[in-house]
Amino acid sequence: MRRRPVNGPAERLRRIAGVVQALGEPDPLPGLCRATVPVLAVSGAGLMMSAGEAPAVHACWGEVSGYLQELQRATGQGPCRDAHDSGRPVSEPDLGRLDPDRWPGFAAPARQAGVLAIFSFPMRVGAVRLGALTVHRSRPGGLSDEQDWDARMIAGIAATAILRFQAGAPAGTVGRELTSLVDHDAVVHQATGMASAQLEVPLAEASVRLRAHAFATGIPLTDVARDIVARRLRLDR
Amino acid sequence: MTREQRLASTFVELADSLVDDFDVVELMTLLTERSIELLDASAAGLVLVDPFGALRMVAATSEATEAVELFQIQNAEGPCHDCCRTGAPVNVPVLDARRDRWPSFVPVALDAGFQAAHAVPLRLRGDVLGALNLFRSEAVALTTSDLSTAQALADVATITLVQSRATEDARIVRDQLQQALNSRVIIEQAKGVLAERLGCGVEEAFVRLRRHARSNGRRLSEVAREVSEGRLTV
Repeated sequence: MRRRPVNGPAERLRRIAGVVQALGEPDPLPGLCRATVPVLAVSGAGLMMSAGEAPAVHACWGEVSGYLQELQRATGQGPCRDAHDSGRPVSEPDLGRLDPDRWPGFAAPARQAGVLAIFSFPMRVGAVRLGALTVHRSRPGGLSDEQDWDARMIAGIAATAILRFQAGAPAGTVGRELTSLVDHDAVVHQATGMASAQLEVPLAEASVRLRAHAFATGIPLTDVARDIVARRLRLDR
Repeated sequence: MTREQRLASTFVELADSLVDDFDVVELMTLLTERSIELLDASAAGLVLVDPFGALRMVAATSEATEAVELFQIQNAEGPCHDCCRTGAPVNVPVLDARRDRWPSFVPVALDAGFQAAHAVPLRLRGDVLGALNLFRSEAVALTTSDLSTAQALADVATITLVQSRATEDARIVRDQLQQALNSRVIIEQAKGVLAERLGCGVEEAFVRLRRHARSNGRRLSEVAREVSEGRLTV
């Protein structure tokens, strides 16, 4: 069992004050990820949420973080899914010493991208699960007790904020502060649709093909998607 | 174990079950079972006031209790009914002496083998959410200590309910968000499908999708889904 951090609640609140402030920004979720980085002394932060039947959506800070979210979505593996499914934090402080059976499709590309430690915290309000907050480091090493407590608190703040942003939204629409969850990936969804029509395959398969192309060529998914939408690229049948 | 210790462990047990996904009826049933053990009662039942002011039975420790509780609800008389209406505890050590107050309830309760009946309210600020009902096969009163134990158990039930309602609210908002995100993704995908089929740009494809939805009085996300699945040509 973890010891409680020695610092009191006031000190903790001071540490995460930047995270709370970021919620007032026009695009609060990437802001929250950005503000989380110095608090937990990590290299990047991202959060992923389920979008019903559609592929999960995410917000993040840092290029590697975006890649990690994408990698988790493409492989269906990684700490985010585990944290969301189990409702408990997931901690892998040294990806270099990871059991080879754990996340076989995710671990190697993550290491190649320079990720050596990764941690996920479920975003939940009571028993209601929304997704997970994932942070990573480019060096191995676990979070301190204090950082672990802060991370749990930030994940809770994120969950509460997401529900608050959505609570006022008209039926069928996404809360204004949450639209970037879809907008920044809009071109990927459009490209999925185009590829599905080109290849005459269902959307789910087109999505896999698109991601496979990105991973095989090492070109970022968004760039591949832009090329497809601009008709500069056609995936082979 | 003393009663205080048993009460404390009951609270720990109940608090533990509040952490994860929990079922209100299951928790209320557990609470009625613990309350008969802690208060030497023969039976217990839990009744809630629904949003329209009617009483609903949610838990009972036996079939006989269930029948007695339902009788109270149907006939709008009895200790539980009074407790829900007034918000005050009801402590009746000798049921037989209250035939004037509850003429149809008392014979039914005596018939079920209950000599004494007690009820404590589930109170939240000014509201009464329901009542915990206790029955004893011997004609004895609740002591002050019994009463405060019973009230503590009723308060736990209140907390459980408040928590479950907050959870329900959060779940509704979460589901709405997921549905809305899903629709947005489907619309973006349909733009791509249509752009490819019509040989136009995604902007033009969106205009066509929207026009089709409007002129047919249909939801954009529905039209988008059908276009993506190849079931609709715009």
